[in-house]
Amino acid sequence: MLNRLFKTNPTLSLTKASMRIWFRDRQAIFWTFFLPLVLISVFGLLDFGAFRTVDLGIIDRADNDASRKLIGEVGALGAFDISDTLSEAEEREALLDGDRNLLLIVQPGFGEADSPAQRRVTVIYNEGEPQESAAGQTIIQHVLDEMTFAEGNIQERYRIEAEPVDSRNLKFIDFLMPGVVAMSIMQMGLFSVAFSFVQLKSRGVLRRLQATPILPASFIFAQVFTRLSVSILQTLVLVGLAVLAFDVHLEGNLGVMLLLALLGGGVFVSMGFAVSGWARTEDVAAPVANAIALPMMFLSGVFFPRDAMPGPLRAVADFLPLSYLADALRNVAVDGASLWSQWGNVLGLTAWLALTFLIAVRLFRWE
Amino acid sequence: MEQQAEIIQVKDLRKSYGDFKAVDGVSFSVSAGEVFGILGPNGAGKTTTVEILEGMRKPDGGTVMVNGIDVQKDPRAVKKVIGIQLQSSAFFDRLSLAEILDVMASLYYREVDALELLREVELADRAGALFKELSGGQKQRFSVASTLVNDPILLFLDEPTTGLDPQARRHMWALVQRFKSEGRTVLLTTHYMEEAEELCDRVAIMDHGKIVAMDRPTALVDSLLSKGFKKERVEKLANLEDVFLDLTGRALRDGQAPQDT
Repeated sequence: MLNRLFKTNPTLSLTKASMRIWFRDRQAIFWTFFLPLVLISVFGLLDFGAFRTVDLGIIDRADNDASRKLIGEVGALGAFDISDTLSEAEEREALLDGDRNLLLIVQPGFGEADSPAQRRVTVIYNEGEPQESAAGQTIIQHVLDEMTFAEGNIQERYRIEAEPVDSRNLKFIDFLMPGVVAMSIMQMGLFSVAFSFVQLKSRGVLRRLQATPILPASFIFAQVFTRLSVSILQTLVLVGLAVLAFDVHLEGNLGVMLLLALLGGGVFVSMGFAVSGWARTEDVAAPVANAIALPMMFLSGVFFPRDAMPGPLRAVADFLPLSYLADALRNVAVDGASLWSQWGNVLGLTAWLALTFLIAVRLFRWE
Repeated sequence: MEQQAEIIQVKDLRKSYGDFKAVDGVSFSVSAGEVFGILGPNGAGKTTTVEILEGMRKPDGGTVMVNGIDVQKDPRAVKKVIGIQLQSSAFFDRLSLAEILDVMASLYYREVDALELLREVELADRAGALFKELSGGQKQRFSVASTLVNDPILLFLDEPTTGLDPQARRHMWALVQRFKSEGRTVLLTTHYMEEAEELCDRVAIMDHGKIVAMDRPTALVDSLLSKGFKKERVEKLANLEDVFLDLTGRALRDGQAPQDT
């Protein structure tokens, strides 16, 4: 029954055919899945996080000779990257955000006789980065031991009271993955539509179809449905690989990411239609599509944050469709943002969808 | 043949491209079941005329009724009952011949036996092949098969044998004769006179966008002879093509050649 429907309904049959055609195109598969996978794998294996020093935050609640001596000696070692001291609340938040590995809290009464905190310091450490945390604790304990020996009193050591926290440890690949997903959706939507449509046009396939009672809407639906399905699949495959193979932390909802992928896919597919409506041959479509895609790849914060860009350039870059898509995907994936909190990016993408759709309708030609 | 319903009625058809009058006041009608040929040199306006009849191109003036339907008013309704072979057809990449026929049929809300259709044009053994892998003659035959998916009552064949070798051409002729025997109407264009003589019940000869003569082929020849026309060289009972076919046989030769002409 369903099989018959797929055979005799023009829209369903064209959709099936267009899916078949897409998935038989090895080149399209390569650019759409393989290349982004390689990108993620390379950055996943490099793991820039491994070279990091130990970031230490210090809160001195005791503020006495003993605490100043301790802090001075810890700082003098040069083993830590000691950040400017913030308030305790801010320090705790920095630790949770993964900006610190350790937070050393010297409790009031440290080093003072009869105080319960006489021989104890508190170290709150980031559980997610065990190597840095362990190294940091060992170094602090070493300083404490030296203090113990210096006092000549070996009855009781200065000790660490360690307290783990589970914080988010953002690695470069966590940042990169949503960007690569956004970029590959752009490449697929723009290039796959622009190329295949111009090819169908220039080789006369569209003309042959026009000799039948085909409805243009059926044909367009099949093309768009195929591309949007692929953008969903891309997101699933790339996020899946990043999470399973490279331990990327996915804070947000995958469903929200898929919705964003659909919206972004829509923008770039209609951009592809606009290019293919305008270009007569593949030789024209290719450079035009590249001229659109390449600048966006580098300006939209796919590989590095746009914060680093000079002001005027950034002002432009912020409004690019790929920026909206990459930002929204990243906020969801990395910060666990909700769809509603991304209304600005969603609005930006919707505006681009409306604009590119209008241009596509304007430029679109069957012949 | 007499007094059959007129399946095509063309009145005062006009189409210009800038100053060039491609079709300049063409009128004719075709009866159901007839094989009708439009002859003429390149650029005479054959293809433009046919494309207007098919609903693929808009005329500047005149009317075309196909099977009682005004083509300009409802081209989709016309396309449902006709089959169109374009001068050069192209099909989807990466779909097999059988898959292409299935998709084409679905555009008419139909299901076809793709293998049977391919058998009719002797391409059953290539059902899994891609269109681009076919030879020139095979491409032309597949293109004809693709026009049959909706079991059309009227077939338009635009230069169906151009660029084919004599064997492939004879095969195409046999196909056209079969369509006629199945009761379909065929409108074809050609610039091979012997093809028109062999296949067509009536022909219209076009030049500079106008029909300069229209009748049965034998009647046209007779009227020329009656004007006292004599060929310089008396025709022999066979010609070089007969020699060629006698030496090389009539079987189709497209299995191995990836591309001819």
